[in-house]
Amino acid sequence: MTLLSERRLPWLFLTLLLAVVALAGWQWRDGAPLSANLMELVPGTSPDALELRAEQRIQEPLNREMLVLVGHADRQHALAMAQQLGEQWQASGLFEKVQWNLQADLPALRTQLLQGRLAMLSEDDRQLLSEHPDAFIQQRVQALFDPFNGFTLVPSQDDWLGLTGRIQNSQPKHGAVQLDIGSGALVADADGNSWVMLRARTTGNAFDMNLPLQVADLLQRSREQAAKSDVQLLAASGLLFAANGQQQATREMTWVGGGATVGILLLLLLAFRRWRVLLAFVPVLVGMLFGAVACVALFGHMHVMTLVLGSSLIGVAVDYPLHYLSKSWSLKPWRSWPALRLTLPGLTLSLITSVIGYLALAWTPFPALTQIAVFSAAGLLGAYLSAVCLLPALLKNVELRPARWPLRLAERLIRLREKLIERVSTSVLLALLIACCIGGLMQLQSKNDIRQWVGAPQHLTDEAQTIARITGYQPTSQFFLIRAANQQQLLERQAALSERLQQLVNLDKLQGYLALDQLVSAPSQQQQVREALNRLPSFWQPLLDLGVPAAALQNELQQLQTLPAEDIDAALAGPLGEPYRTLWLGPTADGVAAMTSLQGLNNPSLLRVQALDLPGVVLVDRLGDLNKVFAATQISAAELKLASCVLIVLVLILPFGLTGALRIVALPLLAALCSLASLGWLGQPLTLFSLFGLLLVTAISVDYAILMREQVGGAAVSLLGTLLAAVTTWLSFGLLAVSSTPAVSNFGLSVSLGLAFSFMLAPWAGRHEAAAETRS
Amino acid sequence: MNPFFKSLGALALLAVSSWANAFDLQQLSEQLAKPDVIHGRFTQEKHLRALPKPLISKGSFVLAKDHGLLWLLKTPLQQDYRITAKGIARRDNNGWQLLPGKSAGAEQNRLFLAVLQGDSSGLQRDFELALSGTAQQWILTLTPRSMLLKQVFNRINIDGGELVQTIELMETQGDSTLLRLQDSTAEQPLSDAEQHDFAE
Repeated sequence: MTLLSERRLPWLFLTLLLAVVALAGWQWRDGAPLSANLMELVPGTSPDALELRAEQRIQEPLNREMLVLVGHADRQHALAMAQQLGEQWQASGLFEKVQWNLQADLPALRTQLLQGRLAMLSEDDRQLLSEHPDAFIQQRVQALFDPFNGFTLVPSQDDWLGLTGRIQNSQPKHGAVQLDIGSGALVADADGNSWVMLRARTTGNAFDMNLPLQVADLLQRSREQAAKSDVQLLAASGLLFAANGQQQATREMTWVGGGATVGILLLLLLAFRRWRVLLAFVPVLVGMLFGAVACVALFGHMHVMTLVLGSSLIGVAVDYPLHYLSKSWSLKPWRSWPALRLTLPGLTLSLITSVIGYLALAWTPFPALTQIAVFSAAGLLGAYLSAVCLLPALLKNVELRPARWPLRLAERLIRLREKLIERVSTSVLLALLIACCIGGLMQLQSKNDIRQWVGAPQHLTDEAQTIARITGYQPTSQFFLIRAANQQQLLERQAALSERLQQLVNLDKLQGYLALDQLVSAPSQQQQVREALNRLPSFWQPLLDLGVPAAALQNELQQLQTLPAEDIDAALAGPLGEPYRTLWLGPTADGVAAMTSLQGLNNPSLLRVQALDLPGVVLVDRLGDLNKVFAATQISAAELKLASCVLIVLVLILPFGLTGALRIVALPLLAALCSLASLGWLGQPLTLFSLFGLLLVTAISVDYAILMREQVGGAAVSLLGTLLAAVTTWLSFGLLAVSSTPAVSNFGLSVSLGLAFSFMLAPWAGRHEAAAETRS
Repeated sequence: MNPFFKSLGALALLAVSSWANAFDLQQLSEQLAKPDVIHGRFTQEKHLRALPKPLISKGSFVLAKDHGLLWLLKTPLQQDYRITAKGIARRDNNGWQLLPGKSAGAEQNRLFLAVLQGDSSGLQRDFELALSGTAQQWILTLTPRSMLLKQVFNRINIDGGELVQTIELMETQGDSTLLRLQDSTAEQPLSDAEQHDFAE
């Protein structure tokens, strides 16, 4: 018997499906709208536009540059390989710039040094010049005789006072890297090898979908090529982490999606023994389609992490057809439409409660979870619609005669439970359970760290650390942002900060820092240098004694007096300004701004203190801020969970009455509590992600409680339905636990635990339970 | 090339033309690497383009194969230097002070040691080497290979016999430095004080 509406429904749904497929086709017209940018997933904590701009500046090289060390015991060998690889890479078209040797433009350097004699003099040299002019001259005389002074770029007759040499020598040293004078390469010696530095800057950034993989590929080929000549390569780049993340996401999606699919299909076949029953997978496919389309429609693209977590939707989507398929154990003969009619109210309720649970995730400040929530809610809707409208038509002539063993198993479980309750009453069990929970909760430890989002493989981190050790380059994402009314004030503020940072460097708490005041001094200080130079003639007799013509010295002094004050832009323009250029943010709405970047940081809180009483100076520590947001979100997530429960209770009051609704919602909450306690007993940390997982379990397991409450076809059949639903869901979520991204695996673990407890507790939702309790 | 060296080179060439085996870099290296310790005096003349007369300084040196170089400047001012594997150090009232690593300078000092010790393999990396003369009277001319070095040096001339006698550095800017090593002897071992200086 098929109602008229039931004949029309499939066609209506097919029309809708066609429209969605068309929309999807349009969305994918320019290739997959996928994104791998991790920063898109985390909440935007800094509303400050300048801070954001500064952050992008600091991040950019991390995401676009690759640093490679080419190492061999014989320096020449390493240099040759570096050159060979450099040429190959340049030819690959992946890089905008590949650099293995410095093409020093000495004439430009000379000009800058001469022009900057007042402005670029270091703090120590300025002090010496104004406080001990005699010592200043004495040192100059010494330097003129010193055979080991290194070569100065500016000939003596252009700089009798030796100011350019001082500037040259006071430039911050770049770690342990030294210039190989023959080749112009930067080389560090460590572990018995000479390591030649090769730097490459890509055309796109790490979040470009193809580039990281291509770069990783090229690096792999280069490694193999180098290994043939016994040369070792070490590489570090955000690109490599991105490539690894992408490969991992693809791999895990295949494993989780594939594993869940195969497992669920096998389960369906074993239980129902009909090939046609595999059609139950149609809602899953439709669900994935709906989810993806909704996601791209709302966000413009879909993140790969959404796909990984979203692939777990398979297990939830298949529950809808299972709802009425499992009635084949009691309904004889089983026919699709009547079975659907029987279970439709439960199905609809379960859709509503699940969607409420998923959408609760959307209210967290995490773009990642918002995406997953939208993906899942739309996916569930799609799955529900196809399960209700299309699938019964496809299964119309199928007569299910399921295997008996699952039902026998369910019956055995029910009897087991009854025996248990006969011996120990429910209230005692509850008390025991709660005691257990309290024990576990006491041991539960909370841990939140952005690094949980990144399944950084050990070999990449190790390599990056080795490079940091060999070269001394260890860029950090934290930096100071300095604001001021004008350049004078800016340089003063930055200099005050530098003074404190230098103390940290001296204490080995910090490896190094880079600030504009190291390159150029404030206009007022330049004036002081000018004045100090004016007093010099009464001290320069030793130079005259050497034979330096007095006229030459006078002439030089004259020149120095007329040198114009140099501003930041002028200082940055020369070749010595190159490393500092990213630091200068230029004019802002209320003055000027710059950054101080840091190397080799190990204690962010120590840095925060440095900025405390310095006006206009703030530490920008995105990672630290994010970790704080994580911790704060944990609390709001718990609140959301309770709010979603209240909402679900309200929805359930209509069909089940207040006590029924409360009971149905109390069970998933208890299950969540048990999962939390288990995490404690297992010694696993409570993370934001495990909490999100539990948030989800509440939504899903309400479904089981409803199934057990309604008991269409008897307790054993309902339990079997619940078991099937739980197993399929577990197959998809549980597999997430094997993910190598800590966040994802944590999510998988907590959902798995939650599902197990939900299944065990679900029978207490039954009506006869309530009746039994009122009797007693 | 300095006319003086040119004629010297020509003379040397005349002298060896009758020999069957030309004196080669390998032999020069072996010859210069032979003595364990060399003591001697030096005169350094710094010819600066803008100065009418050169800056002349004098002192003594100790070159020890296994340790490095002690360079003791006596006049017109007194200053002791030491080059070892650890780097370059200068002596002040508190003893030896390692100078902060100046990469270009460190590299130059490596060259300096390579020149004194006749380590031609170390020099060959960065320079074209041209050797002429005999084991008793030879001239080695170093022409920079790399763009970077070419912007600093035009040429370095070294000559000597059993030991190095003069080193002349011609800078691109027009300045030059002439080092004369005199009274070099390989007979004397390191004194206790010298050993102490290297060890400290």
